[in-house]
Amino acid sequence: MLQTLTTDFRTPRAAPSALNTAPSQRYYVYLLAPAILLLAAISLYPFFWLIYMSLHQVSMSPNQPDVWVGLANYAKLLSDKRYLEGWRLLVVYSVSCMILQVGLGLLLALVLNNSRWEKPLVTVFLMPMMMAPVIAGLVWFYLYNGTFGWYNWVLQSLGILSGTSILGSTSTAMIGIVVVDTWQWTPLITLIVLAGLKRVPQDQLEAHMVDGAGAVRNFFAIVLPNLYPFLLIAVLLRFMDNFRFIDAILRLTGGGPANSTKVLPVYLFEVSFTNFNLGYGAAIAFTLLVVTIVIGMVLVSAFTQPSLQQKH
Amino acid sequence: MASRDIVTYRTPASVLAGIASAVFVVLFLIWTVLPIFIMFVSSIKDLLEAFKLPAVGDWSGIGVFFDFTPTFKHYVDLFTQENFGTYFFNSVASALGSAAISVVLGSMAAYALSRAEFRGKKDLFFWIISTRMAPVVAVMVPLFAIFRYGGLVGTTPGLIIAYTTFNLPFAIWILKGFFDNVPYEIEEASMVDGSTRLQAFKAIIPLVSPGIGAFLVLCVLFAWNDFLFASIIGSGGAKTLPVATSGLVQPQNIQWGKIMAAGVVTTLPMMLLGLVIRRYLVTGLTMGAVRG
Repeated sequence: MLQTLTTDFRTPRAAPSALNTAPSQRYYVYLLAPAILLLAAISLYPFFWLIYMSLHQVSMSPNQPDVWVGLANYAKLLSDKRYLEGWRLLVVYSVSCMILQVGLGLLLALVLNNSRWEKPLVTVFLMPMMMAPVIAGLVWFYLYNGTFGWYNWVLQSLGILSGTSILGSTSTAMIGIVVVDTWQWTPLITLIVLAGLKRVPQDQLEAHMVDGAGAVRNFFAIVLPNLYPFLLIAVLLRFMDNFRFIDAILRLTGGGPANSTKVLPVYLFEVSFTNFNLGYGAAIAFTLLVVTIVIGMVLVSAFTQPSLQQKH
Repeated sequence: MASRDIVTYRTPASVLAGIASAVFVVLFLIWTVLPIFIMFVSSIKDLLEAFKLPAVGDWSGIGVFFDFTPTFKHYVDLFTQENFGTYFFNSVASALGSAAISVVLGSMAAYALSRAEFRGKKDLFFWIISTRMAPVVAVMVPLFAIFRYGGLVGTTPGLIIAYTTFNLPFAIWILKGFFDNVPYEIEEASMVDGSTRLQAFKAIIPLVSPGIGAFLVLCVLFAWNDFLFASIIGSGGAKTLPVATSGLVQPQNIQWGKIMAAGVVTTLPMMLLGLVIRRYLVTGLTMGAVRG
């Protein structure tokens, strides 16, 4: 059953030649051209513009020309403490989110799987994901508030927090934003794992049980290995999204206090759209893009694993 | 199924595991629903009632949360004083505009990619999907510079273009997977019967239209929920609901009731749409990697 990853993207077999005659081919070109041209105009062209910007000091007034600075913007990155700290915080943030979400999401999926309540509960768990991240940030900002936030009150009443709110202290603000992301996106992991659990080969499970294996041994010997590709997808998707979106963080802390939550995209936002230092911002954006594309390549090769699609 | 034949005995351990599972699910349910519930309830509270809180450690005082007279004045205020009618329209126009462009052009391209065989198809495909994965802030830096020259900052067309940067690659990618599942035989048979290539394409449209509709809704959802593009590229003339809601937060005299009402106005339509396309959500949110 094993297919190599180098085969064509999920195409079950080559399209029959009747659909690939010369007139058909021309037809495909006409169908493809509008989308490809538009995408080139709105993503490829800006990408080259980004490289141009990163090599210049970009002026904000139309009368002044941009000044060529060569690789100076990139050289500056290496000595910029905020930039390097931004990467570190981004990794801390993404990894903490990932561990919490995969742990909770996996546990929830295992408990829910095949239970009477699976369908209705999953529908309820979808609700946070439909919410705009910035609204989620706003709601949690309210819940965390030091004077009238209910969650802050609960944390204080339990003796977990003392005077300052969770977002107000450099030692806890990161936990605060990780919790919000976990609240919103753990259900996605549950959904993915539930889809994976439906594809665990039952015959293997039965054979193993006949051999006298208990639930726990069953899980580690058969269920978990079958779930790996699904967990990999879940992890990579969440990693990408933590790089892509900073809406909630902007609302919750704006990168503070004392830069303790200034993950790289937040720093990039500040450099580009608060200080309007677009040339330097472009250099930061370029490095962020390169790293994301590398993660993306891993994601795409994980996507094409055939085991994700089969149903048993 | 054969698994029914295996008898499982109720042991103390399994009973305990059952109870622990139930407790975990209930706790998780409360954890998930509570913030949304508090948002709804706070949106119908008066200004002072929204700030009411028992003393620290006074667990019996938790009832003050429900101690209020419901009022819908925040919702009325939003639309009469805060111009939310316009922002709602801006959100609908930019989300629907970009979703429509993305799905129409995307389904054409996806169909061609699903049927055609050519060299470099894999590279083309990777380029398409990598544009979707790019961090929004990073995409926005050059887009903002270009839009400033083109006079597109603060306009709905500008926002539609910005949203199309992530919706079009999403539509192409996910719809290709969708077309791959439609058997070629339908088109082949209709072409053998003498129909043209275009007529053969039309023959499969009834099969794919529910999915295309669902992915259109997903494109609307992604665009509607965007904050970053809207806050910079839409700033000024094309303010959308998430930006307007966020803008209600002032340093002084925060009107929490009003803000929560705005949150409900922004969130509720998407929750309802999410229910409508429930069946396609897993596929959509995992970019087609997993089928629910």
